[in-house]
Amino acid sequence: MLGSLPLVSIPPEDEALRPAVRAFLKDALKGRPRDVLARSWVGLDADFSRKLAAKGWVGITFPEEYGGGGRSPYARFVLVEELLNAGAPVYAHWIADRQSGPLILKYGTDAQKDFYLPKICKGEAFFCIGMSEPTAGSDLASVRTRAVKTDNGWLLNGQKIWTSGANISQYMVALVRTSGEPEDRNKGLSQIIIDMSLPGIDVRPIKDMSGDSHFNEVFFDDVVLAEDALVGTEGQGWQQVTSELAFERSGPERIYSSIQLLDGWLDYLKSRPVISEASTVLIGKFATHLAVLRAMSLAITDQLTKGLSPATEAALVKDMGTEVEQAIPTLIADALASEPDAPVPDELLRTLEYVTLMSPTFSLRGGTREILRGIIARGLGLR
Amino acid sequence: MEQMMTDDLLANAFERLLQTHCTPAHVREIENGASPDSLWEEIEQSGFADALISEDKGGADLALRDVFPLVLLCGRYALPVPMAETMVARAAYAAAGQEAPKGPILWSDDIPFETPEVRRSTGALVAAGLLVGALERAFEITVEFANDRTQFGRPIGKFQAVQQLLSIMAEQTFAAKMAAEIGFASDGWMPDPLLAALAKSRTSDAAALVSAHAHAVHGAIGATEEYDLQLFTRRIQQGRTAFGSETYWNRLIGETVIASDEEGVLDNIRQSLSA
Ligand SMILES: Cc1cc2nc3c(=O)[nH]c(=O)nc-3n(C[C@H](O)[C@H](O)[C@H](O)COP(=O)(O)OP(=O)(O)OC[C@H]3O[C@@H](n4cnc5c(N)ncnc54)[C@H](O)[C@@H]3O)c2cc1C
Repeated sequence: MLGSLPLVSIPPEDEALRPAVRAFLKDALKGRPRDVLARSWVGLDADFSRKLAAKGWVGITFPEEYGGGGRSPYARFVLVEELLNAGAPVYAHWIADRQSGPLILKYGTDAQKDFYLPKICKGEAFFCIGMSEPTAGSDLASVRTRAVKTDNGWLLNGQKIWTSGANISQYMVALVRTSGEPEDRNKGLSQIIIDMSLPGIDVRPIKDMSGDSHFNEVFFDDVVLAEDALVGTEGQGWQQVTSELAFERSGPERIYSSIQLLDGWLDYLKSRPVISEASTVLIGKFATHLAVLRAMSLAITDQLTKGLSPATEAALVKDMGTEVEQAIPTLIADALASEPDAPVPDELLRTLEYVTLMSPTFSLRGGTREILRGIIARGLGLR
Repeated sequence: MEQMMTDDLLANAFERLLQTHCTPAHVREIENGASPDSLWEEIEQSGFADALISEDKGGADLALRDVFPLVLLCGRYALPVPMAETMVARAAYAAAGQEAPKGPILWSDDIPFETPEVRRSTGALVAAGLLVGALERAFEITVEFANDRTQFGRPIGKFQAVQQLLSIMAEQTFAAKMAAEIGFASDGWMPDPLLAALAKSRTSDAAALVSAHAHAVHGAIGATEEYDLQLFTRRIQQGRTAFGSETYWNRLIGETVIASDEEGVLDNIRQSLSA
């Protein structure tokens, strides 16, 4: 059944990283209004990511021999928490730091590690993830994009969609079919690294409903890839992706998507002559839920430091985390509009509007709520 | 590691006692008017109720964090005597230099605490721990039932709609346990009042949903006196409101956050809502 994870706290040497990160961010993000900061996750800012890399804060957990920080997952927790809490535009380096780098470390050849990891740590290689396709969303095993073996490499054809950051990334890690048919499901899938500058690749940005463009359609038309584009083992793509997704679900990133709105609202409340009881209770509720989520997220980080991958617990924390992230705009909108005549600052309203528009996606990206609950059910032994 | 070992040994010994002397049948008998005296006598002899008082006063000198597993077990076994309350109350009397009344102690204004607020938050934490034990047991009973009960030719746990209810129960139970653990993370016998508030708020918040889903998955059998689920869901409902519901404690936490000089919610969490 469901175990429990022990309560842990951040070791002092990792906590010690916080003031330096905070000071750097205070300076780097000076003057940005909250509605811009709220875009943190989908904020693509190559300059910012390179500045962060120059501080040694991209690839902080990678081994030092590759230019990484050689630090523990706790150090990454502190760093990521500060970045997201401050609303830093993290997306450019996000995927390389969180998923692609660790994937290459785990499954890559020595040559691949030597080539990609130092570039990632310097902020010179941004990665995107090519998993979803028009006909393969939750049913990821049904991907159709295909890499066919040639004499000296692979020939790639097909299409990806919703690929965040494809428009600014140098590389994509794609899940593709290398043998068999879509009906073979998770057999015959592999992960390949695609150099996005190759001929035959067409990237078309998709506008989201707030007007931003962060995700893209990507078309592959007879793209010629070298042999070493394959990462890991041919045919083992499904197993590799599953462990990669456990990584992506286990960080603190599933708690803070609405934090700019929450902090903006808290500032507003503090400026009011009277605060309604309902609003006071609501602040308490959000603080309580986030505090417990943070403790759970730390407990998962502790498992990672021990080399474990608590997939069920990570799914559970992600699902509850996105629920709170979505409750924040819904309930703050209600609280503000419960006093329709009170003046509300423009910046707060713009932040509310943006977070409200984007909040449905919080429980889609990285696996939908229903899919996560299926993972939990499997962890409970029900399926 | 050593600490974990002793915690485990302690909890195992207490669980063996409960397995023998606090069966669901005996819980029902006591609820229906049978004397709880012999059950209490077993607990008294075992010494668990003195766990929080110092060794020179005949106790085990344990801290609140050490007895968290014991409080959970009281909830898991629907223990119908106030063992967890007595354990804490005896520590309060000892700390005040007063003689504790003999036998089980029901929570009351007589227990010496510095302020009524501290009395309430300490009581709330005990209630939160008991609540989590009951939530865990209700969840387990429900998963077992979903695996056993067959409809339409398969166990109902194979239906996705039922799986989603169970997943939500798992989430809420997991979060409630983490919250209670934060509240109990004290090296003394008294909790940090704000962490006790957090524990009671989050466990109460989980209670209604877990109870509702447990009953939903069970169908009619879950609503019977004879089936054990009610022993736990009744306690979940009582525990939710005991010493203040989630709104009561959220108000207190909200007031603290609003009054604090910390800039944002994260710093409030780091400074005053973390163990
Ligand atoms: C902001 C954003 C960024 C993204 N970035 C990336 C990216 O960088 N790379 C990438 O590859 N993908 C990305 N995605 C795509 C994301 O992974 C998919 O949206 C997600 O996997 C769901 O797929 P779908 O949108 O096709 O929905 P569908 O799979 O069609 O799902 C629609 C609905 O059906 C439900 N459903 C589907 N199957 C089941 C089932 N078996 N049981 C119960 N319910 C089911 C879903 O839960 C959902 O409610 C991104 C998405 C968003 C919103």
